[in-house]
Amino acid sequence: MSDLAHDVDLGHHEEHESTGIENRKLGMWVFLSSEFLFFGALITNYLLYSNRSGFDGTYPAEIYDIPFTSVSSFVLLMSSLTMVLAHNALSRKDQNGARTWLFATAALGAVFLGGQVFEFTEFVVVYDMTLSTNPAASAFYVLTGFHGVHVAIGVIMLLSLWGISRRQGSLSEKQGMNLELVGLYWHFVDIIWIVIFTVVYLLSVPPT
Amino acid sequence: MSEHAHHPTPAQYWRIAGFLAILTAIEVALYYVEQEYELGFLNAAMLLALSTVKFIVVVGWFMHVKYEKPMISRFFTAGFVLAIGLYLVVLAAMGVVVVRG
Repeated sequence: MSDLAHDVDLGHHEEHESTGIENRKLGMWVFLSSEFLFFGALITNYLLYSNRSGFDGTYPAEIYDIPFTSVSSFVLLMSSLTMVLAHNALSRKDQNGARTWLFATAALGAVFLGGQVFEFTEFVVVYDMTLSTNPAASAFYVLTGFHGVHVAIGVIMLLSLWGISRRQGSLSEKQGMNLELVGLYWHFVDIIWIVIFTVVYLLSVPPT
Repeated sequence: MSEHAHHPTPAQYWRIAGFLAILTAIEVALYYVEQEYELGFLNAAMLLALSTVKFIVVVGWFMHVKYEKPMISRFFTAGFVLAIGLYLVVLAAMGVVVVRG
């Protein structure tokens, strides 16, 4: 993204290194890059155990509700649209539009989380698949659970920005940069789910 | 910044989201095609290709990497390639096969 501070024309107080990139923004990109290793480890762990036979209990791949998860995936994907529309609105100094799209993004994130809670509850109550049922179930809950935690953190940050904007009537330059950083984080959470949806839900098979 | 002039408009963002939604629908359709016809490797390859396109579109257009300084994409690509490379080696070493069929 281009520097939001330039877009909202509220002054220039960012700290740039010789890279020409604002420090906090560069920090966010480095953090997101490192997150690939974090989620990569969890996805790898799932792939290692998802169809390893010899354990009792229900395997995740036996009970996935693909239509339900498809809708959840669509909701999260569309939240990336509302997030980028919030950023775009702020860059056009449309504070009301930015606030509305921020809230829409948080709401879609909350819907996704609600879906995940429903899915986990169904797996535990109906199919008796808990965290300790077998390594595949454990790997599934840890992976999708950590992703859910990331979404929850994103929702909290989005609602915080929305609350600040609502209270103050507008977002300041610093808060505008915060919106850009939260946006990067949010899109990252979305791309991780793109991978999880394909690799974990659509491609994995239970042991034969 | 000058590159901001090239950022997509809201209407273009909606079209990009529509494209992503269509790709997701195709992915889900492929899942059911696989249940019926068991395409195996071909199905896996198509799903991974679609997922990769979605990934690139979100990173490029929604995260604006396409319009950023090259250093940003280098950082991001390095992290991604490192993670993929590392875990592919691990999966290969463990003999994991994830392809259906």
